[in-house]
Amino acid sequence: MAAQTRTANRHHRIIIWSLLLLVAATLLLPLIPYAMDYVDPSGTVPNPGADLWRDVRNGNIGTSQVLGVDAGVLINDNGERWRHFRMNQLIPVGAMFMGSVLALIVLFYLVRGPLRIQGGATGKMIRRFSVFERTTHWFTVGLFWLLALTGLILLYGRFVLIPVLGPEGFGLTASACKEAHNLFGPMFLVALLMMFFTFVKDNIYARGDMTWLLKGGGMLGGDHVSAGRFNAGEKIWFWIAMIGGAVLIGSGFVLDFAVFGQGREVMAISHVLHGIAALIVITVSFGHIYLGTAGVEGTIGSMVNGEVDEAWAKSHHDRWYAEVKAAEGGGENEESAGGTAATGVASPARDA
Amino acid sequence: MKLVKKQGSNASTAQPAMLGATIDRRTFLKQSGITAGGVAAAGTLSMSMMKKASATTAARSPTDEGNPEQIRTICTHCSVGCGVYAEVENGVWTGQEPAFDHPFNKGAHCAKGASVREHGHGERRLKYPTKLVNGKWVRVSWDEAINEIGDQMLSIREQSGPDSIYWLGSAKHNNEQAYLFSKFAAFAGTNNMDHQARICHSTTVAGVANTWGYGAMTNSYNDIHNSKAILIIGGNPAEAHPVSLQHLFRATERNNAPLIVIDPRFTRTAAHADQYVRLRPGTDVPVVWGMLWHIFENGWEDKEFIKQRVYGMDEVRAEVARWTPDEVERVSGVPEETIKRAAQTMAEHRPGTFIWCMGGTQHTVGNNNTRAYCIFQLALGNMGVAGGGTNIFRGHDNVQGATDFGVLSHTLPGYYGLSEGAWKHWAKVWDVDYDWLSSQFDQGSYEEAGGKPAKPMNTKGIPVSRWIDGILEDKANIAQKDNVRAMVLWGHAPNSQTRGPEMKEAMEKLDLMVIIDPYPTASAVMQDRSDGVYLLPAATQFETYGSVTASNRSLQWRDKVIDPLFESLPDHTIMYKFAKKLGFGDELVKNIQVTDDEPLIEDITREFNKGMWTIGYTGQSPERLKEHQQNWHTFDYTSLEAKGGPANGDYYGMPWPCWGTAEMRHPGSPNLYDTSKEVARGGLNFRARFGVERDGVNLLAEGSWSKGAEIKDGYPEFSADVLKKLGWWDDLTAEEKQLAEGKNWKTDRSGGIQRVAIKHGCAPFGNAKARAVVWTFPDQVPIHREPLYTSRRDLVEKYPTYADRKDFYRLPTRYESIQVKDYTGDYPLIMTSGRLVEYEGGGDETRSNPWLAELQQDMFAEINIVDANNNNIKDGEQMWLEGPEGGRIKIMAKVTQEGVAPGVVWMPFHFAGHFEGRDLRDKYPKGSDPYVLGEACNTAFTYGYDSVTQMQETKCSLCRITPA
Amino acid sequence: MARMKFLCDAERCIECNACVTACKNENEVPWGVNRRRVVTIHDGSPGERSLSVACMHCSDAPCAAVCPVDCFYTTDDGVVLHDKDICIGCGYCFYACPFGAPQFPVAEAFGQRGKMDKCTFCAGGPLPDNSPEEYSKYGANRLAEGKLPLCAEMCATRALIAGDGDTVSDIFRERVTWRGSSGFAHGWGVAYKNQHRDSKGKAVEGKAAGGD
Repeated sequence: MAAQTRTANRHHRIIIWSLLLLVAATLLLPLIPYAMDYVDPSGTVPNPGADLWRDVRNGNIGTSQVLGVDAGVLINDNGERWRHFRMNQLIPVGAMFMGSVLALIVLFYLVRGPLRIQGGATGKMIRRFSVFERTTHWFTVGLFWLLALTGLILLYGRFVLIPVLGPEGFGLTASACKEAHNLFGPMFLVALLMMFFTFVKDNIYARGDMTWLLKGGGMLGGDHVSAGRFNAGEKIWFWIAMIGGAVLIGSGFVLDFAVFGQGREVMAISHVLHGIAALIVITVSFGHIYLGTAGVEGTIGSMVNGEVDEAWAKSHHDRWYAEVKAAEGGGENEESAGGTAATGVASPARDA
Repeated sequence: MKLVKKQGSNASTAQPAMLGATIDRRTFLKQSGITAGGVAAAGTLSMSMMKKASATTAARSPTDEGNPEQIRTICTHCSVGCGVYAEVENGVWTGQEPAFDHPFNKGAHCAKGASVREHGHGERRLKYPTKLVNGKWVRVSWDEAINEIGDQMLSIREQSGPDSIYWLGSAKHNNEQAYLFSKFAAFAGTNNMDHQARICHSTTVAGVANTWGYGAMTNSYNDIHNSKAILIIGGNPAEAHPVSLQHLFRATERNNAPLIVIDPRFTRTAAHADQYVRLRPGTDVPVVWGMLWHIFENGWEDKEFIKQRVYGMDEVRAEVARWTPDEVERVSGVPEETIKRAAQTMAEHRPGTFIWCMGGTQHTVGNNNTRAYCIFQLALGNMGVAGGGTNIFRGHDNVQGATDFGVLSHTLPGYYGLSEGAWKHWAKVWDVDYDWLSSQFDQGSYEEAGGKPAKPMNTKGIPVSRWIDGILEDKANIAQKDNVRAMVLWGHAPNSQTRGPEMKEAMEKLDLMVIIDPYPTASAVMQDRSDGVYLLPAATQFETYGSVTASNRSLQWRDKVIDPLFESLPDHTIMYKFAKKLGFGDELVKNIQVTDDEPLIEDITREFNKGMWTIGYTGQSPERLKEHQQNWHTFDYTSLEAKGGPANGDYYGMPWPCWGTAEMRHPGSPNLYDTSKEVARGGLNFRARFGVERDGVNLLAEGSWSKGAEIKDGYPEFSADVLKKLGWWDDLTAEEKQLAEGKNWKTDRSGGIQRVAIKHGCAPFGNAKARAVVWTFPDQVPIHREPLYTSRRDLVEKYPTYADRKDFYRLPTRYESIQVKDYTGDYPLIMTSGRLVEYEGGGDETRSNPWLAELQQDMFAEINIVDANNNNIKDGEQMWLEGPEGGRIKIMAKVTQEGVAPGVVWMPFHFAGHFEGRDLRDKYPKGSDPYVLGEACNTAFTYGYDSVTQMQETKCSLCRITPA
Repeated sequence: MARMKFLCDAERCIECNACVTACKNENEVPWGVNRRRVVTIHDGSPGERSLSVACMHCSDAPCAAVCPVDCFYTTDDGVVLHDKDICIGCGYCFYACPFGAPQFPVAEAFGQRGKMDKCTFCAGGPLPDNSPEEYSKYGANRLAEGKLPLCAEMCATRALIAGDGDTVSDIFRERVTWRGSSGFAHGWGVAYKNQHRDSKGKAVEGKAAGGD
């Protein structure tokens, strides 16, 4: 039994590391051209002014009477690299990434169908999210999709929307998108901070999360896996959204407030980070949305009216259910139990 | 905003569109978005981004009905004299096209020339006559202004004599205005009038004229095409005369001509040099003698040329012999190998041209420097040949003309001097009674140099470099009746002059200050007066017409592009208004037609044609000038000779001397002293100006004469007597004989003597040797003297400056009493100054042009990284720079690795509007503050004046720097 | 068809900034926007060289490639222009351009840049040739008048050459021959790769500013 567990653990570790590597590679691969010296296909011409051009190419920054952050830079090599990244990597790879994940979800749904509440709904509801939590969530959702859609339109609209709207029509659309993105972008910082402080307590790694992960959350095996208020999958989403969001906000700030003398290279790199982070967060959000809606029966209610069926709770978040019930037993006010209990007993729950 | 015709007295149209007293970049952007119909500014606000970028009415819309009128004019910035096509629609200057057919610039311009159309906007101009009342600028009418100023002047004149009113003229006048200004001052009864040539090339004019006859660029920019080598000392034409580089590059590329640049600073010109030589500021004579030492040592000099055409080279040899390579290196810091290489390059590539500018002239020994340069060229036989010569690049667009027309305190127009004969000649030309003219002057007599009393009419006036001393100096020490009490600053930037704090004091001491200029200039703001200042708006040269003399002595005709903006008036109109008020209006324009107070330009040209015999400003009639102007395309790019066309055979602009009358159709003299051409075809030889012999030695040429001369040897200058002796008298017509009797080639107003001399192939001014020894100057042979504020105390004993002088241009002038004190302890760095391509002169005009001002927004000093680190100053930070006389300025540090050597600080001189750390923007009349203000480097510059011309010493003083 | 090119000869450029002010003059470009600039390497040291840079009208223009709204187009003369009614001022062209050509009239918070502005090779924009609307948005259209960009026409030393590519290279080749060495022209490889030449052209064909 012990040996068996050890073998299983090793397998799990390999899977985890592979997953991590994959994520890392997705993030880092597009940066490779930045690290490598980009070779100009036009080749070099031998010439007496070679010294001058070598200096220029080596990034020897000159001076100019025209004032400007980058005015002294004669040739910006990174421009070509950035173009290459955006046109040949970010746009196609991003489209494929989002498309394949969407396709996988659809496929999964078709093959597997929604995950039903085991044993059917009991009709007895318990409170899962407070009004504040739901407000925070939907505020973030709204903002996220406003930014995601406007961003995606700026990224893909040229290929998708110009044929539909025509260049001028799309120009207006894109202009509106750009303005909205730039004006509402900074608000995402507020949303993200609210999300973080509201949910971070329940998204810290707890014993059992690894087991949950190794069992694929029960989606594959069919067995229910024990979980607290949030399972490991939800926690990973939380952290992807938080880290991704932080990257988006940081890089977005650099792009949105070009008033601190940042040069175009800094902005191009910010743009790279912004694009990668956005596509990852958007893509992962597809999974979150699927699981919160069509994927798992009875989940949507938690964010609509804040309540879930007891059977849903018991099967997906058994430890949380137990905590809530325990708290209810000791408490007087059922109304507030959901919120306070969840927060109040989060820590002891780890020992359950 | 559509550009509208800005004229008349309607205050609302006269308001500038950008009114902000202070303009930072952000507000500027917003404002220019509105006013300039900004291309890029259209639709910058966020919501309008969703609308179509709104089409504002263009400031310039090319499809306005009617074809734009193309007007030929000449750039008003530097002496290259670039042609400009101005396109005008309905009186608005809407376009500027390159003049590809112009022989000087072939359409090319520098930053300044490429932006002259901004003159048609004129946002920052002084818009109407304004006077200072209780510290506030108050608008007045022209009549009020002229009356009030005139009344005060008449009363000052009554009390203190005519010399107490100083008339400071300008290199920005055209020839006609410059001439009229000289005449005006004469009629006002004073020699206290001068202009910027005093502080730019006066030492050149004196040194060069005293070497071989005429004080001007001997060849031309275009002639540099023929050079086999080019040496530039104390000049940065890449910034000061950028279009000249077009000609230089032709020589360096097509002739493979080496370019040598000698300068304390590694300039943009040096960047293109084959050899750059860094010298310590103020050691030009040692460096030139050092080169000559190698030339004599190796026998590279042109012995035949020296024998035939140079006097006194042996005395030079003796002086040069003292300048061994070791001594040259000790004094100038230039090692032997460098000097030898430069000398050898010049010796092996002949003809080579020698170019210099302010770096050589602005020293207490400026006249020694310029003569040393001339001697260098004489030794190599580079004079009087195409591709050789001393190509002295003059500064302002008409500084050559204003010099020629005697806007100078020491001479009448045409370098006639101030002798009684000269006055009588001009009284005849002016058609006025000599006695009346003489009665206009102060009748007293005052001590002149040498202790002899002399009358003010015949003594040099106070030079522009010293006007402040004319105010501040104790009355008893000035050789005139009283101090200067009223200053007229006509087209003059005071920040181009040294001793800022004392200048401020002088301005405040005056009874009356009148500033006549298109811009208020620093004069309007640097003093803290509350009354007695008048600002009168003058029109620019694009708002009038007339002739202008380029550096190469070519006269070019400018047409009027637009009517005077706002309430401004052309200079000659203002002169006439003043003359009327001061009581000599009728005399001033006796033979000149006047319409609405504006004297007719062509009549003025014709009048000076009748008097300027000395330097041949006689053949360039308005008709010929206009003919040249209309046929730019017919003149050759290298020789400047018209190939066919109506001006066939003429040289472009008839470079003076253009002998005789216009009817003689002399083509002008493209290269001075060129014996390979007939005089009638522009050939010459050195002028016989200094007598025929000295100490028994012949001063006339020996075995050298211009092509076709019937006198095949040296000969003296022509006069009626000489013609008679030669038996040529009867070649004169009866009419000519009448006027020529008893006269010489300079005073014969018929032009007959010149005509006959030339008919016989002879130069009217004789044929003599150039002189390497100027026995009338303090230093007969150019010698080295340390600057007054020298950094090398160890050299003072061996190379001391001059003794103080009691009366020099009417003023006591100090030399050794300053040099005797050691300032190097507190002021360890050498300070020197120069130019920036974007700005011109004092910069009021160019700093008011947004297209230029954007490119140079901060006054700075270039300092070596060693000095920066030693003084804890970082690049781009503010620092204080203080001169040994206490003037201090707060400026930005530009730290350089090799631009200047350790121990040397370099500053541009075009800034003004800050004074000793104080921003004076609020003091400008509303709407007329230039976009860019800054400290004037001359606030910190010090005392020091050339021993012949009173040139100020701005190329070598001391300073210290501290972080601000 | 003529193919328009700029070429700057570093051996001749003296950083006089005539090209910069000529551009301001001809196009009434406001303060803060510089369609052309001169860059100096090793300022104040031996080896100092300056080059005038603006839009190089690349054959495969990075700005056009990355523009999210596809507002760029290339004229028959090979001039890269853009439509300010479509431009959204995102700044991507500025990140991508090797020469720093795209300019923005403002730089304010919330990504406010205004419409991008850049050198048009004095060829105006998508509006009717030489209409006041074209002038106010894009500046002069000298090409339509048979003239070349004013910056090159006014270059003090003829360092900056503009015009039909073949003529430009002929001028430069001649100059290099005079100098007796081979030369290399600024931006040639980057800006003009894959260009094709043929010889039918408009009024401007075969013309170039910058001879001698």
